Amino acid sequence: MLPISAERLIPHRAPMRLVDTLVSVTDGCAVAESVLPRSTMMADGEGKIDEVACMELIAQSYAAFRGYMDRMNGKPPGEGFLVGVRNLEITGTAYAGDRLLTSIRTVAAVGGFAVVEGAVTRGDETLATGTLTLWLVDPDAGGG
Amino acid sequence: MSALREGIDASKLGDLAGTGTETGARRYRFGPGFIGFSGHFPGNPILPAIVQIRAVVSLAEAESGKTLRLAAVRSAKFLTPIRPDEDVWIRYRRRVDSGMDICDATLSVAEKTVAAFQLELAEGETTR
Repeated sequence: MLPISAERLIPHRAPMRLVDTLVSVTDGCAVAESVLPRSTMMADGEGKIDEVACMELIAQSYAAFRGYMDRMNGKPPGEGFLVGVRNLEITGTAYAGDRLLTSIRTVAAVGGFAVVEGAVTRGDETLATGTLTLWLVDPDAGGG
Repeated sequence: MSALREGIDASKLGDLAGTGTETGARRYRFGPGFIGFSGHFPGNPILPAIVQIRAVVSLAEAESGKTLRLAAVRSAKFLTPIRPDEDVWIRYRRRVDSGMDICDATLSVAEKTVAAFQLELAEGETTR
């Protein structure tokens, strides 16, 4: 089933869908690929991608991982929301057209919350690392 | 300037309400046509977390008159989703901690804090 288009796994749509493809999944870890076009809302006139995009890449890569796991369990992809960020360090700059790989690792998943470590890389260069907390909506739960 | 930053600038209401060189506040209203709502999410628009942080950095840039870069998010909490057409107050305070330029910021809607950040900023653009 892998690689698989992220559009089949996450609710984000263009222009806010930044992850293109879920590449691999192994034991709570995953890698997703992105190539942001020059026309992305995140790029300035020189093609430089806004630093904040790295945070969204990690969040969407985890969402793609979760969506994949839901599909493997015969369920439609569930929803999740970013509720926290800790120690996200941005050490490099991405440009439109770069092939970005985002690696995520599930550190903990308790009571509907997941703690995820992520890293965005371009080739051998790490552009950002950080820890995100996401709230996962239980599709089987009633109410709001 | 990116389309996202242009959209954020177009969503500000009124002038800067800074109380000094290290603090600032501004009101924003992100309408349903704001680019950041496009695809996030279809039928359930929520202001993306990265837009909230980008807006704080842009506000700090406007106050300082300098180009700033987001170097780190030490911590961020997103407490309540922000929907289209809500009036959002962004307030921040900058300080130096161990040589780092720190920006503490809150976003509030109807007097209720909906997000809080501690960011590290750096001056100037990066080059390839």
